[in-house]
Amino acid sequence: MTHTTIGTETGATLKAAPGPSIARGGFRAVLLPLALAFAVLTAWQIVVTVMKIPSVILPGPVSIAEYIFSKFDILIVHAVPTTLESLAGFLLAVVLGIAIAILITYSNAAREALYPNLVFFQLIPKIALAPLFIIWLGVGTQSRVAFSVFIAFFPIVIATSAGLTSVDKSMLRLCRSLTASEWQVFTSVRFPAAIPHIFSGMKIAVTLAIIGVIIGEFITSQAGLGYLIILATSRADTEVSMAAIVVLCVCGLLLYGLVALAEWLARRFYSDGT
Amino acid sequence: MLPQAASFASASGEPLVIAEAVGKIYYGREGAIEAISSASLMVDRGEFVSLLGPSGCGKSTLLMIIAGLEPPSRGRVILDGMPVTRPRRDIGIVFQDATLLPWKTALENVLFPIRMLKLPIEKYRERAHELFETVGLKGFENKKPAQLSGGMRQRVSICRALIHDPSILLMDEPFSALDAITRDQMNVVLSELLETYKKTVVFVTHSIREAAFLSDRVFIMGGRPSSIILDLSMPFPRPRSFDIEDTAEFARICRRLRLTVEDAHTGQSGPQMQRQPPTPAPHQL
Repeated sequence: MTHTTIGTETGATLKAAPGPSIARGGFRAVLLPLALAFAVLTAWQIVVTVMKIPSVILPGPVSIAEYIFSKFDILIVHAVPTTLESLAGFLLAVVLGIAIAILITYSNAAREALYPNLVFFQLIPKIALAPLFIIWLGVGTQSRVAFSVFIAFFPIVIATSAGLTSVDKSMLRLCRSLTASEWQVFTSVRFPAAIPHIFSGMKIAVTLAIIGVIIGEFITSQAGLGYLIILATSRADTEVSMAAIVVLCVCGLLLYGLVALAEWLARRFYSDGT
Repeated sequence: MLPQAASFASASGEPLVIAEAVGKIYYGREGAIEAISSASLMVDRGEFVSLLGPSGCGKSTLLMIIAGLEPPSRGRVILDGMPVTRPRRDIGIVFQDATLLPWKTALENVLFPIRMLKLPIEKYRERAHELFETVGLKGFENKKPAQLSGGMRQRVSICRALIHDPSILLMDEPFSALDAITRDQMNVVLSELLETYKKTVVFVTHSIREAAFLSDRVFIMGGRPSSIILDLSMPFPRPRSFDIEDTAEFARICRRLRLTVEDAHTGQSGPQMQRQPPTPAPHQL
């Protein structure tokens, strides 16, 4: 009983003291980057206006924003396929990456056969292979999603296998002494231990998945933000191109936010309480 | 060389653990390494024995062989009348590190063996709470390991080892990662715990004082390849307090253990490390 009381008391005082400073730190963390971004945009606008830079070379932030608001419907039409294909590529990369990681964690033969080849493929600039995906899978969604998976899955494999093997040797001995099955060890020990690792792999993979889709759209497509950027640039319509890039950033943030949200939800079950 | 009968010897009088000429050879890149040449020992039911020796003397290996987690290269271990060939469910193990699942609460960690053994968890919840109370962790059941101190984590891991009521508790240098003060506390906690939950214990340590304070009997392992070179009973009555450490008898026993360990150590390090200089100076004679 005394232990608990002392515990809560110290906990309360510890929490009470840094409260305002955390709030101030939070404000700083939001305000400082916003202020810098605003300063850069202002400088950009001033330079464009004062030096009379033609909008083909560099449109100002104001005109880009105006375009985004006036042609929002067109941008959305292109943003939807890009986002959905990125999401599909990312999710498939997660499934494939985790599956390969489990395979190479549990099978020595699979690890010895697969791992050097996986690393070898990482050394190829993967973009060079993108046109081949169009040849193999056609000009539709499937080739872009497949290429997106191909670009994004590797960090998942690395992170997941690191997580699955991060379990302490003594913990595995304990499981063995309790005659636990491999499945029990996997579900109760190895996989939960890998979850934080998997999320860090996912954060890298989600950005790579978008890159994969955009490259696919650059090469061939009839819609999507990558298509819009290429089309607008070929018409010297830099304003449209820039607007598409801004929307692309928002889509990327959205997907990254989804991963961060999933991690936050998982943390409620798997955090170490600190 | 029959071991002395312990106070809690069962009606059958059969020792709980019998190790018969256990040897262990590891095959590494540099060829075969003999970790244990031949170790024989008996542990009676309810007895607390320590395996004492310097690092790398094979005492942890012997413990893992008793647990069925490592096969012996020679000889065999008989536990409760049955040869040990694989892990057994009636063993509780405590490692040097608490090895708790960081995302689970202390209570969930203690109940972990019950889940692995697929026993009904509800039936063991009460026992878990009793164990928490006995080791002085009442009120900390729902804390996560990172929120506990090193000593508290090790107490959780001792509770975890006892939750499924194993017939033997194997402890592999359980307190050697703790600071000296916490370590002393843990020795008291453990001996109090064993007053309540009587268990046969095999305790691996390299602390002479710890072995003497906790054990009914101390086995010293040494030599290279190593074997058991001393089997000494600790004549202190239970329950014990730290007062026994101030007695002349305790000092005498610790000295005996220390000299034996040192002898074993110098023996393996070659002739230049012998305790007696070959030609002592005249004034020392």
